[in-house]
Amino acid sequence: MTAQSPSPVFTVRFDISDQEFSLAGVLRPHSPAEIADDLLLLRNGIEAVNGVLYVNLKRVTHMNSTAFRALTRVLVDASHSRPELKFVVVASSVVAWAARMFRHLTDLSPNIAIEIYDSAFYPGQAFVENQSFIPILRTQTRMTWRHEREILPRHGLRTGMAIADICCGIGDFAMLVRKEFDPARIVALDHSMASLDYARDVAEKFGVRDIEYTYGDASQMLLESDQFDFVICRHSLQIFDRPEMLLRELYRICKPGGRVYITNEKNSHCLGEPRSDSIQWTYHEVAKLFSHFDMDVEMGPKGLRLLQDAGFEAVKMESFMVSNLDGDPQEFADIIAAWRDVYAGEMSVRRGDSQEFIERFKQGFEDHIFAALHPRGYAGWPIWAASGRKPL
Amino acid sequence: MKSQKAAISVAFDQLLSLRMDMANFTADWLHCDQLSNYVARMVSHDRPDPLRHSNLLSSVLNELLEMSFRSETDDGELVCAFCRCREIERVELTFPCPPRQRQFYKDVVLGLKTRQVLASYLGAIANDSAPGDEAILLGLVVNYDAEVQLRDFGAGTLTFIVDLPLGKLLN
Repeated sequence: MTAQSPSPVFTVRFDISDQEFSLAGVLRPHSPAEIADDLLLLRNGIEAVNGVLYVNLKRVTHMNSTAFRALTRVLVDASHSRPELKFVVVASSVVAWAARMFRHLTDLSPNIAIEIYDSAFYPGQAFVENQSFIPILRTQTRMTWRHEREILPRHGLRTGMAIADICCGIGDFAMLVRKEFDPARIVALDHSMASLDYARDVAEKFGVRDIEYTYGDASQMLLESDQFDFVICRHSLQIFDRPEMLLRELYRICKPGGRVYITNEKNSHCLGEPRSDSIQWTYHEVAKLFSHFDMDVEMGPKGLRLLQDAGFEAVKMESFMVSNLDGDPQEFADIIAAWRDVYAGEMSVRRGDSQEFIERFKQGFEDHIFAALHPRGYAGWPIWAASGRKPL
Repeated sequence: MKSQKAAISVAFDQLLSLRMDMANFTADWLHCDQLSNYVARMVSHDRPDPLRHSNLLSSVLNELLEMSFRSETDDGELVCAFCRCREIERVELTFPCPPRQRQFYKDVVLGLKTRQVLASYLGAIANDSAPGDEAILLGLVVNYDAEVQLRDFGAGTLTFIVDLPLGKLLN
């Protein structure tokens, strides 16, 4: 028997400042000897840390029994030789075998704890995952779609393409894209089971069977590289604390010559007349509030630079203003009311804002609603759309 | 362990069957990874979450293929069949296997029904000297809720029949 080719690719890293040993990729070695150097790095790391050692396995997509047993023995041995040390193994909720396999480490040593990594990575998601927010998300998509159905072809979207909608939320944009652009394949990925359940229910009701909804971590997708002609990621980079990591993944799954399309907001530029000063103050505060939770809702105009820095070429960018003049003004007002309830509600309270601040903060949203519904008023929500081509 | 008759009588639809000369298969360890990913992808396309289904199935297939890779026999064929009956998915892996190894597998599979499987599995993953194939089979039961059966028609080959409730594991 031979084992000629190197085993599938994985990466290993030890970060002394974070006391974290990380593995990523596919670990399917023929023998423990193949990963001996990597395990030595772990052993040496264990000797170098105090308190807690994090073993980050959340980006491991496959691990065979050979690798798992070898890793287990190192951790169990270390938990005996250094009983004062705590080991925290972090696994992904996306990879279904991981939690079931790694949980046994706790059975073998009380010093080893398992953490399942899921929505914690998406600081903003928890605020919008509430079921009551779903009608608002649908309204938002309906209002932006009026603009984006014309914008998307300018960024290269054509019929018959393989499309990925990453961070698809409740899947409504994927449905609209499917209907308008008749893709050869469309995958819609999100990290919210609740949103995907909703998306699948809607698809089922409408008899739509060709959208591949998948639960996934956008920063480490199970999707293969170079798969899609057009990769969409809307309003999501802005709620990641590490957008460059997400862009690397979008780049990876895009075919050479294909394009990645992103949209983001610049909340401080939301505007309205009358009562413009109050509105402007509140939306500047919205930007600060999100920044407190490591989200950048001012990202919109930065799209050009972000795409260039990520290695894309032929980068295009434009902006559009969703307003109360797009269809029914009440729909626009409903969106603002939902923002008010979340931003000046749970988020502001969690930041520890005073009641006085919250009242003033709310007033800006009320004034924005007033402007939206005023017969001579104007209320706007600016969005930046950008795309870049992956080099051939 | 279910009887051979019972195993055969269940109405599974075969979705895919793949044959490969054993010598070609064992020429490269990477074939285990490649074949498991290929088969998993092919049969997962119609599942509610094709990507995660494929990832999970690939993990099981790879373990079985790695086991057959180590069977130390190059003569004959590797046959990997995939079947489905409602929510249960079945992998049938046939490969040439010497008599002593066949007996070893029979003993392990019998033990899956008669031993404390979790305790045996924990012992196997924590102990250097435990046979790797035993850890794999115990792992299939403990981690994937698999039901493992053997079919031995003599003639130097062995068939593993592994039933998996993958849909349940994904939810």
